[in-house]
Amino acid sequence: MNASTVTLPDKLSALSSQELMRLEKQIADQFMGGLPWGSICWGLGNLVVWLSLWPLTLSGILPLWIAFPIATLNVMLSYLPSHEAQHRIIAQEGDKLFWLNELVGNLSTIPMVLPYNVARLTHLEHHKHTNHPELDPDIATKARGPWHSILNSIRNRQPGSRAGAAYGATLQRLGTPAAQRAGLIALVFQLSYLAILFTLAWTGHALVAALIWWLPRHIAQTYIQFYLSWAPHHPGTETGRYRDTRSFRSAVGNIGSMGMQFHIIHHLYPRIPLMRTPAAYWALKPVLEARGCRLDGL
Amino acid sequence: MIRAILGPLMKNMPFLFGIGFLAPLIKEVLVLSHVSLGVPPLGIGLVIGGTWGAFATWKGRWI
Repeated sequence: MNASTVTLPDKLSALSSQELMRLEKQIADQFMGGLPWGSICWGLGNLVVWLSLWPLTLSGILPLWIAFPIATLNVMLSYLPSHEAQHRIIAQEGDKLFWLNELVGNLSTIPMVLPYNVARLTHLEHHKHTNHPELDPDIATKARGPWHSILNSIRNRQPGSRAGAAYGATLQRLGTPAAQRAGLIALVFQLSYLAILFTLAWTGHALVAALIWWLPRHIAQTYIQFYLSWAPHHPGTETGRYRDTRSFRSAVGNIGSMGMQFHIIHHLYPRIPLMRTPAAYWALKPVLEARGCRLDGL
Repeated sequence: MIRAILGPLMKNMPFLFGIGFLAPLIKEVLVLSHVSLGVPPLGIGLVIGGTWGAFATWKGRWI
């Protein structure tokens, strides 16, 4: 799907809110559906590449200085395929391919040590309460500017940080059996990750563990929080369908920011696959303008 | 029961991380860079990693 086939009326401002909504949905509908093979291959392929770095570096075939940037890119790339699965974009419950949705969702974030269930439950809360000071699990990424955002991300990862425990607090607030199970899985993930790091380190592979997993994960977390959380919601002060997320022009382009320039589309229509959000944005732009959305330079 | 075991474990995790990961990492870096301080590299790793981890546990921050 590259362009909208819906013809827009000359004066959108003359339309009522309901008519505008009908038009908006009509346009958005054209970009939903189908199997996002790109994201499926991305999620599974990325994990295979990252996993292959372990035997390649441990056996000395691949030098660590080559493996380190690849691993960093792998961890940076590991979130978004799972994000597609979190919104059931690959397949919905009851569909024949729902197993594929869950497979991509569960596997792709392993390098990030982020369990799918935790990611899904907290991310849906983020959608429900975007920019809410207490209920948005990602509100701690709010920052005054880009450098403050990076500093904030590092600060939030310190052991005593309350912001770092936001996902756990959200699961506790939800209190459902699924949230409790997710909390337990998160604990198992975290302890397994540390056990693997410690074992590798004490068996003479500390540098491999540091440069394939530990440091790439820190760099990736900073990048992901910057582009997937801070930038599209900045300044993070407003709530509401048309004001809690913005479009923006990224200095590193659309690929460099992993499609987040068009994140406003994702918040309006979370079932539109990531790779179709640019086309959906351009098709919906006149409607977004009529709605008073923040379209910062795009 | 789980809480009783995991509570103190998680509370002291920065210290354990200092000993469990940073110490051998520092040792490997010292060995690879041929730095000799007259003390076994692992000893230096344990002192730096342990102290840093203890600081992080105490202060709630690494830096």
